[in-house]
Amino acid sequence: MGAEHTSVPRWGTERPAPDPSARALLLVGFGARGCAITTAWAADVPAGRAVEVLAADDADEAVLAVLTARIAGARVGWRLMLAGPEADVLAARAVALRAGVLDAEIRCAVTSTERKRVYCPHCRTTTATTAPVAGETPCDGCGRRLHVYAHVSRRAGAYLGFMADAEEVA
Amino acid sequence: MTATLPARTAARTGVLVLAVAAVADDVPGIRTLTLRRSEGGPLPAYPAGSHLVMDCGDRRNAYSLTGDGSPAEEYRVSVLLCPDGDGGSAFVHRLAVGDVVTASRPRSAFAPVSTARHHLLVAGGIGITPMLSHARAAVRWKRSFELLYGHRPGAGAHLDELRDLCGDRLAAYGSTPEMLAAVRAALADRPLGTHVYVCGPAPLIAFVEETAAELGWPAERVHAERFSAADLDPGEPFTARLARSGTRVPVPSGTSLLSALEEAGVAVPNLCRQGVCGECRVPVRSGRPLHRDLYLSEAERAAGDAVMCCVSRSVDDELELDL
Ligand code: FES
Repeated sequence: MGAEHTSVPRWGTERPAPDPSARALLLVGFGARGCAITTAWAADVPAGRAVEVLAADDADEAVLAVLTARIAGARVGWRLMLAGPEADVLAARAVALRAGVLDAEIRCAVTSTERKRVYCPHCRTTTATTAPVAGETPCDGCGRRLHVYAHVSRRAGAYLGFMADAEEVA
Repeated sequence: MTATLPARTAARTGVLVLAVAAVADDVPGIRTLTLRRSEGGPLPAYPAGSHLVMDCGDRRNAYSLTGDGSPAEEYRVSVLLCPDGDGGSAFVHRLAVGDVVTASRPRSAFAPVSTARHHLLVAGGIGITPMLSHARAAVRWKRSFELLYGHRPGAGAHLDELRDLCGDRLAAYGSTPEMLAAVRAALADRPLGTHVYVCGPAPLIAFVEETAAELGWPAERVHAERFSAADLDPGEPFTARLARSGTRVPVPSGTSLLSALEEAGVAVPNLCRQGVCGECRVPVRSGRPLHRDLYLSEAERAAGDAVMCCVSRSVDDELELDL
Protein backbone atom coordinates (compact mmCIF):
# COMPACT_ATOMS: atom_id res chain seq x y z
CA MET A 1 0.00 0.00 0.00
CA GLY A 2 1.13 3.51 -0.68
CA ALA A 3 2.16 6.07 1.85
CA GLU A 4 -0.50 7.26 4.26
CA HIS A 5 0.02 10.83 3.19
CA THR A 6 0.78 12.01 -0.28
CA SER A 7 1.08 15.56 -1.44
CA VAL A 8 -1.74 17.39 -3.12
CA PRO A 9 -3.07 15.27 -6.00
CA ARG A 10 -2.30 16.59 -9.42
CA TRP A 11 -5.36 15.86 -11.49
CA GLY A 12 -4.47 15.36 -15.11
CA THR A 13 -5.82 17.84 -17.60
CA GLU A 14 -6.92 14.90 -19.76
CA ARG A 15 -10.14 13.34 -18.59
CA PRO A 16 -9.59 9.60 -18.01
CA ALA A 17 -11.57 7.09 -20.07
CA PRO A 18 -13.30 3.97 -18.77
CA ASP A 19 -10.83 1.10 -18.27
CA PRO A 20 -11.41 -1.25 -21.22
CA SER A 21 -10.66 -4.27 -19.04
CA ALA A 22 -13.48 -3.45 -16.59
CA ARG A 23 -16.36 -5.94 -16.43
CA ALA A 24 -18.59 -3.79 -14.24
CA LEU A 25 -18.43 -0.09 -13.45
CA LEU A 26 -19.93 2.33 -10.97
CA LEU A 27 -19.86 5.94 -12.17
CA VAL A 28 -20.54 8.60 -9.56
CA GLY A 29 -21.07 12.22 -10.60
CA PHE A 30 -21.16 15.13 -8.16
CA GLY A 31 -22.90 18.32 -9.26
CA ALA A 32 -24.03 19.19 -12.78
CA ARG A 33 -20.54 19.19 -14.28
CA GLY A 34 -19.63 15.90 -12.64
CA CYS A 35 -22.84 14.30 -13.87
CA ALA A 36 -22.18 15.51 -17.41
CA ILE A 37 -18.88 13.65 -17.27
CA THR A 38 -20.42 10.42 -15.96
CA THR A 39 -22.98 10.58 -18.77
CA ALA A 40 -20.16 10.84 -21.30
CA TRP A 41 -18.31 7.98 -19.60
CA ALA A 42 -21.40 5.77 -19.68
CA ALA A 43 -21.58 6.27 -23.45
CA ASP A 44 -17.90 5.26 -23.78
CA VAL A 45 -18.16 1.98 -21.86
CA PRO A 46 -17.92 -0.94 -24.30
CA ALA A 47 -21.07 -3.01 -24.74
CA GLY A 48 -21.66 -5.96 -22.46
CA ARG A 49 -20.38 -4.29 -19.27
CA ALA A 50 -22.61 -3.71 -16.28
CA VAL A 51 -22.73 0.03 -15.67
CA GLU A 52 -24.43 1.86 -12.82
CA VAL A 53 -24.53 5.66 -12.78
CA LEU A 54 -25.16 7.59 -9.57
CA ALA A 55 -25.87 11.33 -9.59
CA ALA A 56 -25.39 13.32 -6.40
CA ASP A 57 -25.11 16.92 -5.25
CA ASP A 58 -22.14 16.19 -3.06
CA ALA A 59 -20.40 13.34 -1.23
CA ASP A 60 -22.79 13.26 1.72
CA GLU A 61 -23.33 10.36 4.11
CA ALA A 62 -26.12 8.85 2.01
CA VAL A 63 -24.03 8.69 -1.16
CA LEU A 64 -21.02 7.33 0.68
CA ALA A 65 -23.24 4.65 2.27
CA VAL A 66 -24.45 3.56 -1.17
CA LEU A 67 -20.84 3.48 -2.38
CA THR A 68 -19.83 1.33 0.59
CA ALA A 69 -22.67 -1.09 -0.11
CA ARG A 70 -21.76 -1.37 -3.79
CA ILE A 71 -18.12 -2.09 -2.93
CA ALA A 72 -19.19 -4.80 -0.49
CA GLY A 73 -21.15 -6.53 -3.25
CA ALA A 74 -18.63 -6.03 -6.07
CA ARG A 75 -16.55 -8.79 -7.70
CA VAL A 76 -12.98 -8.41 -8.97
CA GLY A 77 -13.15 -6.74 -12.37
CA TRP A 78 -15.26 -3.87 -10.99
CA ARG A 79 -14.12 -0.26 -11.44
CA LEU A 80 -15.09 3.00 -9.79
CA MET A 81 -15.12 6.31 -11.67
CA LEU A 82 -15.65 9.59 -9.85
CA ALA A 83 -16.34 13.00 -11.36
CA GLY A 84 -16.96 16.33 -9.64
CA PRO A 85 -15.39 18.86 -7.29
CA GLU A 86 -12.17 17.73 -5.65
CA ALA A 87 -13.61 17.70 -2.13
CA ASP A 88 -16.31 15.20 -3.14
CA VAL A 89 -14.04 13.06 -5.31
CA LEU A 90 -11.45 12.83 -2.52
CA ALA A 91 -14.08 11.93 0.07
CA ALA A 92 -15.52 9.17 -2.12
CA ARG A 93 -12.09 7.91 -3.10
CA ALA A 94 -11.08 7.73 0.55
CA VAL A 95 -14.12 5.56 1.33
CA ALA A 96 -13.21 3.25 -1.55
CA LEU A 97 -9.54 2.99 -0.59
CA ARG A 98 -10.43 2.24 3.01
CA ALA A 99 -12.71 -0.55 1.75
CA GLY A 100 -9.79 -2.16 -0.09
CA VAL A 101 -10.34 -0.81 -3.61
CA LEU A 102 -6.98 -0.28 -5.30
CA ASP A 103 -5.79 2.90 -7.01
CA ALA A 104 -5.72 0.85 -10.22
CA GLU A 105 -9.48 0.34 -9.86
CA ILE A 106 -10.39 4.02 -9.44
CA ARG A 107 -10.38 6.81 -12.03
CA CYS A 108 -11.20 10.40 -11.20
CA ALA A 109 -12.07 13.59 -13.05
CA VAL A 110 -12.02 16.78 -11.00
CA THR A 111 -14.15 19.73 -12.11
CA SER A 112 -12.99 22.27 -9.53
CA THR A 113 -10.59 22.49 -6.61
CA GLU A 114 -11.74 25.50 -4.69
CA ARG A 115 -13.76 23.62 -2.07
CA LYS A 116 -11.60 21.65 0.36
CA ARG A 117 -12.02 19.46 3.38
CA VAL A 118 -9.42 20.15 6.04
CA TYR A 119 -8.68 17.64 8.76
CA CYS A 120 -7.81 19.03 12.18
CA PRO A 121 -5.28 16.75 13.94
CA HIS A 122 -6.02 18.49 17.25
CA CYS A 123 -9.72 17.62 17.51
CA ARG A 124 -10.11 15.28 14.51
CA THR A 125 -12.92 17.25 12.94
CA THR A 126 -13.04 17.73 9.18
CA THR A 127 -14.00 21.24 8.11
CA ALA A 128 -15.26 22.36 4.71
CA THR A 129 -13.55 25.49 3.45
CA THR A 130 -12.73 27.45 0.35
CA ALA A 131 -9.41 28.64 1.73
CA PRO A 132 -6.49 28.03 -0.64
CA VAL A 133 -3.54 25.76 0.15
CA ALA A 134 -1.27 27.67 2.58
CA GLY A 135 -4.30 29.76 3.56
CA GLU A 136 -6.15 29.64 6.87
CA THR A 137 -9.54 28.48 8.04
CA PRO A 138 -11.18 28.16 11.46
CA CYS A 139 -11.78 24.56 12.59
CA ASP A 140 -15.48 23.70 12.89
CA GLY A 141 -14.70 21.44 15.84
CA CYS A 142 -12.34 23.36 18.13
CA GLY A 143 -12.23 26.81 16.59
CA ARG A 144 -8.45 26.77 16.19
CA ARG A 145 -7.11 28.72 13.24
CA LEU A 146 -5.90 26.02 10.87
CA HIS A 147 -3.18 26.49 8.31
CA VAL A 148 -4.18 24.47 5.18
CA TYR A 149 -1.10 22.36 4.68
CA ALA A 150 -0.16 21.14 1.17
CA HIS A 151 -0.73 17.52 2.15
CA VAL A 152 -3.70 15.32 1.35
CA SER A 153 -4.35 12.16 3.30
CA ARG A 154 -5.55 9.58 0.81
CA ARG A 155 -7.37 7.57 3.38
CA ALA A 156 -9.04 10.56 5.01
CA GLY A 157 -9.61 12.27 1.67
CA ALA A 158 -8.81 15.62 3.28
CA TYR A 159 -6.11 18.25 3.50
CA LEU A 160 -4.14 18.33 6.68
CA GLY A 161 -4.64 21.37 8.89
CA PHE A 162 -2.14 22.70 11.43
CA MET A 163 -2.72 25.20 14.17
CA ALA A 164 -1.75 28.43 12.44
CA ASP A 165 -0.10 29.99 15.46
CA ALA A 166 1.53 26.85 16.84
CA GLU A 167 4.89 28.52 17.30
CA GLU A 168 3.41 31.37 19.31
CA VAL A 169 1.76 28.96 21.69
CA ALA A 170 4.88 26.81 22.09
CA MET B 1 31.55 -26.34 -2.37
CA THR B 2 32.98 -23.63 -4.50
CA ALA B 3 35.35 -21.24 -2.80
CA THR B 4 33.48 -18.30 -1.38
CA LEU B 5 34.35 -15.25 -3.39
CA PRO B 6 35.29 -12.13 -1.44
CA ALA B 7 32.40 -10.34 -3.11
CA ARG B 8 30.00 -12.70 -1.42
CA THR B 9 31.34 -12.48 2.09
CA ALA B 10 29.23 -9.54 3.15
CA ALA B 11 26.09 -11.15 1.88
CA ARG B 12 26.85 -14.38 3.69
CA THR B 13 26.73 -12.95 7.21
CA GLY B 14 23.11 -14.04 7.63
CA VAL B 15 23.92 -17.63 6.76
CA LEU B 16 22.19 -20.47 8.58
CA VAL B 17 23.97 -23.73 9.26
CA LEU B 18 21.33 -26.43 9.24
CA ALA B 19 21.38 -30.14 9.89
CA VAL B 20 19.04 -32.53 8.13
CA ALA B 21 16.81 -33.85 10.92
CA ALA B 22 14.48 -35.98 8.80
CA VAL B 23 14.03 -37.05 5.21
CA ALA B 24 10.67 -38.16 3.85
CA ASP B 25 9.79 -39.40 0.39
CA ASP B 26 6.01 -39.62 0.64
CA VAL B 27 5.47 -39.12 -3.07
CA PRO B 28 7.86 -40.66 -5.60
CA GLY B 29 10.43 -38.11 -6.77
CA ILE B 30 9.55 -35.52 -4.12
CA ARG B 31 11.73 -35.30 -1.04
CA THR B 32 10.78 -33.39 2.08
CA LEU B 33 13.64 -32.27 4.30
CA THR B 34 13.26 -31.24 7.90
CA LEU B 35 16.08 -28.88 8.87
CA ARG B 36 17.19 -27.73 12.31
CA ARG B 37 20.04 -25.53 13.49
CA SER B 38 23.10 -27.72 13.99
CA GLU B 39 23.50 -26.26 17.45
CA GLY B 40 19.72 -26.32 18.10
CA GLY B 41 17.51 -23.39 19.00
CA PRO B 42 14.85 -21.30 17.30
CA LEU B 43 15.02 -20.37 13.64
CA PRO B 44 13.92 -16.98 12.27
CA ALA B 45 10.20 -16.50 11.64
CA TYR B 46 9.17 -15.59 8.11
CA PRO B 47 6.16 -14.34 6.13
CA ALA B 48 4.20 -17.10 4.37
CA GLY B 49 5.53 -17.84 0.90
CA SER B 50 9.19 -17.21 1.84
CA HIS B 51 12.10 -19.24 0.51
CA LEU B 52 15.57 -20.25 1.55
CA VAL B 53 18.48 -19.97 -0.82
CA MET B 54 20.35 -23.21 -0.16
CA ASP B 55 23.90 -24.07 -1.13
CA CYS B 56 23.61 -27.21 -3.22
CA GLY B 57 27.10 -28.31 -4.10
CA ASP B 58 28.32 -25.75 -6.61
CA ARG B 59 24.87 -24.17 -7.03
CA ARG B 60 22.51 -22.08 -5.01
CA ASN B 61 18.83 -22.86 -5.32
CA ALA B 62 15.72 -21.27 -3.85
CA TYR B 63 13.32 -23.59 -2.04
CA SER B 64 10.00 -22.55 -0.53
CA LEU B 65 9.46 -23.06 3.17
CA THR B 66 6.23 -24.95 3.77
CA GLY B 67 5.47 -23.88 7.36
CA ASP B 68 3.14 -21.10 8.49
CA GLY B 69 6.15 -18.91 9.27
CA SER B 70 5.76 -18.54 13.02
CA PRO B 71 8.92 -19.04 15.09
CA ALA B 72 9.90 -22.70 15.23
CA GLU B 73 12.94 -24.92 15.62
CA GLU B 74 12.39 -26.60 12.26
CA TYR B 75 12.14 -25.60 8.64
CA ARG B 76 10.67 -27.88 6.00
CA VAL B 77 11.23 -27.79 2.25
CA SER B 78 10.01 -30.20 -0.41
CA VAL B 79 12.10 -30.68 -3.52
CA LEU B 80 11.12 -32.36 -6.78
CA LEU B 81 13.88 -34.44 -8.32
CA CYS B 82 14.48 -33.12 -11.83
CA PRO B 83 16.59 -35.75 -13.59
CA ASP B 84 17.57 -33.28 -16.29
CA GLY B 85 17.52 -30.27 -13.98
CA ASP B 86 20.47 -28.20 -12.87
CA GLY B 87 21.82 -30.55 -10.24
CA GLY B 88 20.43 -28.74 -7.19
CA SER B 89 17.55 -31.16 -6.81
CA ALA B 90 19.86 -34.18 -7.22
CA PHE B 91 22.03 -32.75 -4.44
CA VAL B 92 18.99 -32.53 -2.15
CA HIS B 93 17.96 -36.05 -3.05
CA ARG B 94 21.38 -37.35 -1.97
CA LEU B 95 21.13 -35.77 1.49
CA ALA B 96 20.72 -38.02 4.50
CA VAL B 97 19.83 -37.42 8.15
CA GLY B 98 22.72 -35.72 9.91
CA ASP B 99 24.13 -33.99 6.83
CA VAL B 100 24.78 -30.28 7.23
CA VAL B 101 23.75 -27.67 4.67
CA THR B 102 24.10 -23.91 4.57
CA ALA B 103 21.33 -21.57 3.52
CA SER B 104 20.33 -17.92 3.59
CA ARG B 105 17.89 -16.64 6.14
CA PRO B 106 14.31 -16.84 4.79
CA ARG B 107 13.56 -14.35 2.04
CA SER B 108 10.10 -13.06 1.36
CA ALA B 109 9.11 -12.24 -2.21
CA PHE B 110 5.66 -13.83 -2.27
CA ALA B 111 3.92 -12.80 0.91
CA PRO B 112 0.15 -12.64 1.40
CA VAL B 113 -1.25 -9.12 1.02
CA SER B 114 -2.37 -8.08 4.49
CA THR B 115 -5.33 -6.03 3.25
CA ALA B 116 -6.77 -8.80 1.02
CA ARG B 117 -10.37 -9.76 1.71
CA HIS B 118 -9.91 -13.23 0.26
CA HIS B 119 -6.87 -15.21 -0.92
CA LEU B 120 -7.21 -17.36 -4.03
CA LEU B 121 -4.27 -19.79 -4.09
CA VAL B 122 -3.44 -21.61 -7.32
CA ALA B 123 -0.76 -24.32 -7.39
CA GLY B 124 0.50 -26.63 -10.10
CA GLY B 125 2.72 -29.60 -9.29
CA ILE B 126 5.61 -28.85 -6.94
CA GLY B 127 4.38 -25.23 -6.99
CA ILE B 128 2.28 -26.40 -4.06
CA THR B 129 5.16 -25.71 -1.64
CA PRO B 130 4.73 -21.94 -1.12
CA MET B 131 0.94 -22.44 -1.24
CA LEU B 132 1.14 -24.93 1.63
CA SER B 133 2.83 -22.15 3.59
CA HIS B 134 0.12 -19.66 2.58
CA ALA B 135 -2.66 -22.10 3.45
CA ARG B 136 -1.14 -22.88 6.84
CA ALA B 137 -0.75 -19.19 7.65
CA ALA B 138 -4.29 -18.47 6.43
CA VAL B 139 -5.70 -21.18 8.70
CA ARG B 140 -3.64 -19.98 11.62
CA TRP B 141 -4.63 -16.33 11.20
CA LYS B 142 -8.20 -17.15 10.14
CA ARG B 143 -7.90 -15.51 6.75
CA SER B 144 -10.44 -16.27 4.04
CA PHE B 145 -8.80 -18.47 1.39
CA GLU B 146 -9.23 -21.32 -1.06
CA LEU B 147 -6.66 -23.48 -2.81
CA LEU B 148 -6.89 -24.88 -6.33
CA TYR B 149 -4.26 -27.58 -6.78
CA GLY B 150 -3.47 -29.29 -10.07
CA HIS B 151 -1.26 -32.36 -9.81
CA ARG B 152 -0.46 -35.52 -11.70
CA PRO B 153 -2.81 -38.37 -10.75
CA GLY B 154 -1.30 -40.11 -7.73
CA ALA B 155 1.57 -37.62 -7.46
CA GLY B 156 0.05 -34.88 -5.40
CA ALA B 157 2.69 -33.77 -2.92
CA HIS B 158 1.26 -32.96 0.50
CA LEU B 159 -2.25 -33.93 -0.64
CA ASP B 160 -3.26 -35.70 2.56
CA GLU B 161 -2.11 -32.95 4.89
CA LEU B 162 -3.72 -30.35 2.61
CA ARG B 163 -7.05 -32.17 2.87
CA ASP B 164 -6.80 -32.16 6.66
CA LEU B 165 -5.69 -28.54 6.74
CA CYS B 166 -8.06 -27.01 4.21
CA GLY B 167 -11.14 -29.24 4.20
CA ASP B 168 -13.55 -28.03 1.54
CA ARG B 169 -11.37 -24.99 0.82
CA LEU B 170 -9.15 -27.35 -1.19
CA ALA B 171 -10.07 -28.39 -4.72
CA ALA B 172 -7.53 -30.83 -6.20
CA TYR B 173 -7.47 -31.79 -9.88
CA GLY B 174 -5.63 -34.63 -11.55
CA SER B 175 -6.53 -33.33 -15.00
CA THR B 176 -5.20 -30.13 -16.53
CA PRO B 177 -8.37 -29.12 -18.43
CA GLU B 178 -10.44 -29.47 -15.26
CA MET B 179 -7.90 -27.49 -13.29
CA LEU B 180 -7.83 -24.67 -15.84
CA ALA B 181 -11.64 -24.58 -16.00
CA ALA B 182 -11.77 -24.28 -12.22
CA VAL B 183 -9.18 -21.50 -12.21
CA ARG B 184 -11.11 -19.60 -14.85
CA ALA B 185 -14.40 -19.99 -12.99
CA ALA B 186 -12.79 -18.71 -9.81
CA LEU B 187 -11.21 -15.70 -11.52
CA ALA B 188 -14.58 -14.88 -13.07
CA ASP B 189 -16.39 -14.54 -9.75
CA ARG B 190 -14.56 -13.56 -6.60
CA PRO B 191 -15.25 -10.67 -4.23
CA LEU B 192 -13.52 -7.36 -4.87
CA GLY B 193 -10.56 -7.33 -2.51
CA THR B 194 -9.46 -10.84 -3.50
CA HIS B 195 -5.80 -11.39 -4.39
CA VAL B 196 -4.71 -14.37 -6.48
CA TYR B 197 -1.37 -16.15 -5.95
CA VAL B 198 0.00 -18.70 -8.39
CA CYS B 199 3.01 -20.97 -8.31
CA GLY B 200 3.67 -23.75 -10.79
CA PRO B 201 4.90 -24.46 -14.28
CA ALA B 202 5.28 -21.47 -16.60
CA PRO B 203 2.18 -22.31 -18.69
CA LEU B 204 -0.04 -22.33 -15.59
CA ILE B 205 1.35 -18.97 -14.48
CA ALA B 206 0.78 -17.56 -17.96
CA PHE B 207 -2.79 -18.91 -17.97
CA VAL B 208 -3.59 -17.27 -14.63
CA GLU B 209 -2.01 -13.96 -15.60
CA GLU B 210 -3.74 -13.82 -18.98
CA THR B 211 -7.13 -14.98 -17.74
CA ALA B 212 -7.02 -12.59 -14.81
CA ALA B 213 -6.17 -9.66 -17.09
CA GLU B 214 -8.94 -10.63 -19.48
CA LEU B 215 -11.43 -10.73 -16.61
CA GLY B 216 -10.45 -7.28 -15.37
CA TRP B 217 -8.05 -8.13 -12.53
CA PRO B 218 -5.54 -5.31 -12.06
CA ALA B 219 -1.95 -6.60 -12.00
CA GLU B 220 -1.68 -5.51 -8.36
CA ARG B 221 -4.09 -8.31 -7.38
CA VAL B 222 -2.14 -11.02 -9.22
CA HIS B 223 0.99 -12.52 -7.66
CA ALA B 224 3.15 -15.19 -9.30
CA GLU B 225 6.14 -17.13 -8.07
CA ARG B 226 8.22 -18.83 -10.71
CA PHE B 227 10.50 -21.76 -9.96
CA SER B 228 13.46 -19.90 -11.43
CA ALA B 229 14.04 -17.15 -13.93
CA ALA B 230 12.25 -18.37 -17.02
CA ASP B 231 14.69 -19.58 -19.62
CA LEU B 232 16.22 -16.29 -20.47
CA ASP B 233 17.50 -15.31 -23.86
CA PRO B 234 21.11 -14.07 -24.09
CA GLY B 235 19.87 -10.49 -24.46
CA GLU B 236 21.13 -7.49 -26.39
CA PRO B 237 24.57 -6.05 -25.65
CA PHE B 238 24.70 -2.78 -23.70
CA THR B 239 27.13 -0.70 -21.67
CA ALA B 240 27.05 -0.21 -17.93
CA ARG B 241 28.42 3.17 -16.84
CA LEU B 242 29.62 3.31 -13.24
CA ALA B 243 28.68 6.79 -12.07
CA ARG B 244 31.22 7.07 -9.24
CA SER B 245 34.31 6.01 -11.18
CA GLY B 246 33.16 6.93 -14.65
CA THR B 247 34.16 3.44 -15.82
CA ARG B 248 32.33 1.92 -18.75
CA VAL B 249 31.74 -1.83 -18.60
CA PRO B 250 30.57 -3.50 -21.81
CA VAL B 251 28.00 -6.26 -21.28
CA PRO B 252 27.98 -8.53 -24.33
CA SER B 253 25.04 -10.68 -25.34
CA GLY B 254 25.11 -13.90 -23.33
CA THR B 255 27.02 -12.34 -20.40
CA SER B 256 25.09 -11.17 -17.36
CA LEU B 257 25.55 -7.67 -15.98
CA LEU B 258 26.71 -9.29 -12.74
CA SER B 259 29.42 -11.33 -14.49
CA ALA B 260 30.55 -8.30 -16.47
CA LEU B 261 30.84 -6.26 -13.27
CA GLU B 262 32.76 -9.03 -11.53
CA GLU B 263 35.15 -9.33 -14.46
CA ALA B 264 35.70 -5.58 -14.27
CA GLY B 265 36.67 -6.01 -10.63
CA VAL B 266 33.46 -4.63 -9.12
CA ALA B 267 32.26 -6.69 -6.17
CA VAL B 268 28.49 -7.09 -6.02
CA PRO B 269 26.94 -9.27 -3.29
CA ASN B 270 24.96 -12.12 -4.80
CA LEU B 271 23.53 -15.49 -3.92
CA CYS B 272 21.26 -17.25 -6.36
CA ARG B 273 22.42 -15.70 -9.64
CA GLN B 274 19.00 -16.50 -11.06
CA GLY B 275 16.93 -13.50 -10.11
CA VAL B 276 15.14 -14.90 -7.07
CA CYS B 277 17.03 -13.94 -3.92
CA GLY B 278 17.22 -10.16 -4.14
CA GLU B 279 20.85 -10.02 -3.08
CA CYS B 280 22.44 -8.46 -6.17
CA ARG B 281 20.30 -5.32 -6.32
CA VAL B 282 22.19 -2.39 -7.82
CA PRO B 283 20.95 1.22 -7.85
CA VAL B 284 20.27 2.75 -11.26
CA ARG B 285 20.83 6.46 -11.96
CA SER B 286 19.70 6.66 -15.56
CA GLY B 287 18.69 4.45 -18.44
CA ARG B 288 15.76 2.06 -18.42
CA PRO B 289 16.37 -1.36 -16.85
CA LEU B 290 15.03 -4.44 -18.62
CA HIS B 291 13.76 -6.33 -15.59
CA ARG B 292 13.93 -10.11 -15.88
CA ASP B 293 14.15 -11.06 -12.21
CA LEU B 294 11.51 -12.60 -9.98
CA TYR B 295 12.29 -10.44 -7.00
CA LEU B 296 11.36 -6.78 -7.52
CA SER B 297 7.74 -5.77 -7.04
CA GLU B 298 5.70 -4.09 -9.77
CA ALA B 299 6.15 -0.74 -8.07
CA GLU B 300 9.91 -1.20 -7.77
CA ARG B 301 10.09 -2.13 -11.44
CA ALA B 302 8.08 0.90 -12.42
CA ALA B 303 10.34 3.15 -10.33
CA GLY B 304 13.25 1.92 -12.47
CA ASP B 305 15.84 2.97 -9.90
CA ALA B 306 17.23 -0.47 -9.17
CA VAL B 307 18.12 -3.58 -11.11
CA MET B 308 18.83 -7.20 -10.15
CA CYS B 309 22.08 -7.46 -12.07
CA CYS B 310 22.32 -11.27 -12.19
CA VAL B 311 19.53 -11.59 -14.77
CA SER B 312 18.30 -8.13 -15.76
CA ARG B 313 19.69 -6.01 -18.54
CA SER B 314 19.06 -2.63 -20.16
CA VAL B 315 16.43 -1.34 -22.58
CA ASP B 316 18.70 1.57 -23.49
CA ASP B 317 22.20 1.25 -24.92
CA GLU B 318 23.60 2.56 -21.71
CA LEU B 319 22.60 1.98 -18.10
CA GLU B 320 24.14 4.26 -15.51
CA LEU B 321 24.65 2.54 -12.16
CA ASP B 322 25.25 4.20 -8.81
CA LEU B 323 28.46 2.24 -8.26
S1 FES C 1 21.88 -12.97 -7.11
FE1 FES C 1 19.93 -13.52 -6.47
S2 FES C 1 18.69 -12.05 -7.43
FE2 FES C 1 20.61 -11.74 -8.29
